[in-house]
Parts: sequence; structure tokens; C-alpha cells
Amino acid sequence: MAVIQVEQINKAFGKNNAVNDVTFNVEQGRIFGLLGPNGAGKTTTIRMINNILTPDSGTITINGQIASAATQKMIGYMPEERGLYKKMKVGEQLLYFSELKGMKTKEAKEAINYWLDRFGASDWYKKEVGELSKGMSQKIQFIATVAHDPDIYIFDEPFSGLDPINSETLKEIIIELKGKGKTILFSTHRMEQVEQMCDDICLFNNGKAVLQGKLREIKASFGQNTINLEFEGDGSFLDKLTEVRINNRSTNFAEIRVLNGQSMQDILKLAMAHAEIHKFERIEPSLQEIFISTVGEDNLKSQEV
Amino acid sequence: MSFAKVLLVLKREYITRVRSKSFLLSTILTPLVLAAFGALMFWIMTSDSDTEKLVGVMDNTGVLVEKLVDKNEHRYVDVSDLSIDSVINSVLSENLDAYLVLDNKHIDTNERLELIYGGSGSLGFSGSVQSDLRDIIQEERLSRANVSDEVKALFEMRPRLDTRKLTAEGESEDDKAGFMSAVGFILGLLIFIGLFGYGAILMRSVIEEKTSRIVEIITSSITPMELLVGKVTGVCLLGFTQFTVWAVMYIGISMAAIPVAGLIMQDQLSEISNNAEMSAAMQDSGFDPASLEILSIDPMIFVYFFLFFILGFFMYASLFAAVGSAVDSEQETQQFMPILMVPIMAGYFLNTKVMIDPDTTLAVFASIFPLTSPINMITRIAVTDVPFWQITASLAALVLSFFGIMWVSAKIYRVGILMYGKKASWGDLFKWVRQS
Repeated sequence: MAVIQVEQINKAFGKNNAVNDVTFNVEQGRIFGLLGPNGAGKTTTIRMINNILTPDSGTITINGQIASAATQKMIGYMPEERGLYKKMKVGEQLLYFSELKGMKTKEAKEAINYWLDRFGASDWYKKEVGELSKGMSQKIQFIATVAHDPDIYIFDEPFSGLDPINSETLKEIIIELKGKGKTILFSTHRMEQVEQMCDDICLFNNGKAVLQGKLREIKASFGQNTINLEFEGDGSFLDKLTEVRINNRSTNFAEIRVLNGQSMQDILKLAMAHAEIHKFERIEPSLQEIFISTVGEDNLKSQEV
Repeated sequence: MSFAKVLLVLKREYITRVRSKSFLLSTILTPLVLAAFGALMFWIMTSDSDTEKLVGVMDNTGVLVEKLVDKNEHRYVDVSDLSIDSVINSVLSENLDAYLVLDNKHIDTNERLELIYGGSGSLGFSGSVQSDLRDIIQEERLSRANVSDEVKALFEMRPRLDTRKLTAEGESEDDKAGFMSAVGFILGLLIFIGLFGYGAILMRSVIEEKTSRIVEIITSSITPMELLVGKVTGVCLLGFTQFTVWAVMYIGISMAAIPVAGLIMQDQLSEISNNAEMSAAMQDSGFDPASLEILSIDPMIFVYFFLFFILGFFMYASLFAAVGSAVDSEQETQQFMPILMVPIMAGYFLNTKVMIDPDTTLAVFASIFPLTSPINMITRIAVTDVPFWQITASLAALVLSFFGIMWVSAKIYRVGILMYGKKASWGDLFKWVRQS
């Protein structure tokens, strides 16, 4: 069953069409990735799912109900830019956010204690947030998102600004939540995170959903049209290749997308003539490559991918 | 709108602020600062401001200078023996502040006198010189006219006025005009401080939630309207708490020392009073401790005080919140501040006029016009008998504009709190109102 159903939504700010006729479904118990460069409309879409904004047209249903105050309780939302009241104590602050989500004081306290314990942070309860380190307040932020035990978790750019340890913890918890049958939707502009975690994806560009489906199927549909090349020696021969697109190039590594059915064997021959080859592998394209070939190189602001 | 959620916001807003050190400090310090300010004003008004100026008098009549020096030997010095040039030189070299030439024609005719000063003049100074000269020249005229002592005595008597007010029961009661003027002014001042101070607290609170992005978490749980109403009510309650603490402080202090406090207040009132004759009369009559009962205040005034404070606060607070939502930092509020400052400051400046002449057209207008009425109507209610229709009209106008302004502000607020990075212009605000 689709937990989140987004149907033909539009949202404009003045003349800027932030979200343009977007439709997608998020299925129960799966991790759904919303991808795209900055300014593609991901955050606006997420805000509409959270009923912070309302679409100009189209409908959003959460567990079969139109997005409203009632559906807000079903969602735990962690915005991209995070903040807490600096002068409030950790415990009171978490209690406030949980109660706003409709929890009773007693349940809320139990849940907060459980999560603080889990992060080894029980003695922070009476500390002011201003005293905490950045990593510590990231944990508090996370608890504020999950304490009311919602069915749906929405994280906007969850890994941006996280230190590596918290980043790893967050991944583990997302996987764990999925194991409990919860639904997770997150947005990111960093493709490699999606490859590791997502079941389904939806690609955004310029306010439109340009590609969506199961990550596996999408990748498979592109076929093994990419070469993963590791070599030692002068890499300048790569510049001589035509009808290819080179992603992820470094001194001894290149990911080569082969275009227009050019023979991969020719590329191998050329490479062998110029450098010592350590690895030559045919693979499915990376998400980055899929994204580029979907929206077209010309429609892309390269620095944003 | 969910009442339970509004209550949660209200509770947080109120509790975190009422526990803060700044609340404690402002509760204690504000009355002290006001008292110090009052004492300073009192000192400025009563202190003799022109003792240090020295006037050289060139007397060609031979009689006037002596009397002037007798009247105030620190102010007048006889320079009749010097030449006019050397007198002018001593004014220029600042040994004298000014000089006067007195001739017989000034006694015989109504020819105007000239006070010629170097450096800076002052109205207060020339006023004192004028009144000294009037007394002395009139005395000389009377004595030259050979009038009898009885006539002279008649001239020295000055009519004095006591005022008593006629109440509905037909009895006259002790006049409270002086005291009630002060009460009215202070109540107006308190509302001014309240609108401005608590409005600014609310604005900072909105900016804090916006810049820290907390607002995004909150609006994923409740509507912006619930948040706004909760915040405004919370800060309003904070204001009530502070006013109540001050009222209790005032009652406590005055009960502990009612005779002393009464004496001081009565003294101050008569000094402050603009009418010098009246203050002289009050001082002459001596202070009667029994008249302390004039310090009692009709409780209805407090009912009106809270009514006008609440309505005025909700109206202005929603504007403050709208401004807070449109900016990314406190510095950026500058461009929107005039819309708040101009009407509040107008109310504040008009308040003195309203206190002195509460029944002029200007005062009536200021007390009905909704942007100034919270400050000015309470002053009028305390000072004069405001016709009931005016109070009703004032409240009705206030309620209407309260809803209007709240409606517009809420629209700006809804959009503004989620707009980051870009500095909003007036045009943007207008667009936000239309689009939401």
C-alpha cells in the first residue's frame, strides 16, 4: 500500500514554478530517495508532504488521508537546516516537540528517556542546548524527530553537516526503522548515499520528477554500459576518447560511460597502449551517470551535481 | 485551530521567559529606572536654572537698579558708573552675560526694554528678568502716582483658585485633577512601555525561531496561526505578570509608608503642575493629611487599562511578529520599524497633550484612532469624564483594526517564517499577503 501518495502537485512562488506536476508514491516499509540538485524542488515537495505548505493544485495523501493537521502526527520530520532553542534544557525541549506532535506528557517522557539512554546521553536531560557540542545537538535533533514514534520518517538532507560517527549511527537507525516496517523518505543531492540505502528513487530537476522507480530496475534498464577502469601511468589517453562521458576521473581511475554503441574493446585497446591496466570492468551506470543522461548534460549546472 | 496546541506554545513561551534572568532584572529595574527618571524630571523642573547669569544694569533713573539688586543680588550688578562701551566690552569678554539700559521713559511710558546678551540666551532667563522688571517698574509707577497704601496692597493681592468637582450625587468632592493627571499619564506610559517592550520581546522570539529553523519543526506539528496566537498570548501574559508584580510592589510600598509617600506625591504634584499660581496656593494652604483619600483610584480604570492593553498589545504584537518573520536578523528589522515606531511614538508624544487638555478635538481623535487609542484613551479616562460613546467607539475601532492587522500580519508571518536568505522588501510583504 502506498503510504505517501503525491498526485500531480504544483507549487509556485510568484513566477517561479518550484514544483511542477509531480506525482510519486512511497510504499510502506521502504526507503525512498528524493534526488536532485539544489533548487530542484525537493524541499518544497517535502514541506508539502509535511503540510507546512499546501500545494497550489494536486493532492497529497498520507495513509489514505489528505495532508492535514491529523497527518502531521504520523510523520517525523528532520529539516535540512536544523536548530533548537539554545536557552532551553534538553529534556524540556524534547518534551515540547513531542507534545506538539500530540504525545501525552508521560509517554513522551518515557520515549525521550529511552532515546537519550540509547545515545548514552541520559545526563544531558537538564543541560541547556547551548552547552552542547555540535555532534551532541545533532543527536538531540534526531531524538526530536523520532520520539513520537511515527510511521513515516522524512529527512531532508539528513547527512549534511553530520560528523562521520553520527552519520554512521543515522544510517544504522534508518535501516533499523525499515526493519520495523516504518517508511522512510529522504532527500539528498549526494548520489552515492542513495546507492547504498534506497529501495526506490525519484529524480528531480527544475521542479519536475524526471525519473522514478525501483533503484535496481532503473539501473538494470540502463544496462552494463559503463566501464570501471583502474590503471597506472599517463592518463592523457582518456582525452582522446570520443563518444564517451567520463565521470569520477582521478589520476588512476575513471568511470567511462560508453555512448552510441561504441565498442568497449577499442577503448580497452587504446588504454592498454598507453597505460598499465589494473582493472577493466563492465558495470551498470552510477546514479550520477543516470541522472546526467536523464536530464541531459545541457540542462545541468555541473557544480551542483 | 487546536486550543491544546496553542496552550503548549503559550506555556513554553511564558515559562521559559518568566524564569529567565532578564525578566527578573527588568521587573526590578524598570520601576527603579522610572522612579529615577521621575526624580530627575522633578529636579530639572524645580531647580533654579538661571542663577549663574549676571546682568549689568545701566540705570539712568537712579532708583530702579537698587531695587533690582535687592531683589536678586546674584543676578543684577550696578554698572551705571561705567561707559556703555566698557559695558559692551565686558559682555563681549564674558564678564557679564547681558546688560540692560533703564531710562525714565520706561517708567513713564510703556516703551519696551531691551535685554542685550552675549553668548547664548535662554527663554527661562529672559522670562525671569522680565518678571523682575515688571514687579519693580510697577512698584515705581505706583509710588510715583502717589497712590495710597490701600491701593498698593490691592495690587499685591493676587486672586487664587481652588477647584472642586461636582459629582452626580450633587456633592462636591476634593479635586483630584492633579493626581489623576499623573495617574493617567503613568497608565498611558505603562501601556506605551508594554506595547513596545513586549512587542520587541515577541519580535526577537520570532526571529530566533526563524533563524534557528526551529519554526520548520514546529510548523510540521502545528499551524503557523496556532504558533502565532500561542506566542502572542504567552508574551501578553508575561506583561500581565510584570504589571501585577509592579502593582503589588506599589501597594506594598505605599501601605508601608503611606503618610510619607502621600506627602511626597502631593508635593511633587503641586510642583509639577504647570500653573504656578495654583501650586503656590496649594503650598500656602498647607498639606492636609486627610486629603490622602484623593489617592484612591476608581477600579474601573484598571479594568479599562487591561482591556486597552490586551487589545492594543494583540494588534501591535501581530505587527511585530510579522516584521520578525520577514527578516533574518535583528539588524534587518530597521527598514520595517517605521510602521511600528511612528504610531506608537505618536501616541506617546500626544500623551502629554492629552493629559493637559483631555477634551480637545485632537485628544478625542487620538483616543479613538486605533493605533494611538490604547495609549491615549486610558489617559483620558483617568483625567476626564470620557463620554461613553467615545469609549465604545474607541474599543470598536480597536477591535476592528485588531482583526484587520492580525489577519494581514498572520499572512505575512505564514510565508515569512519559511523564507530564508533573501532580504524581504515591502513589495515582497505585499506579495505574501496576496498569495497566501
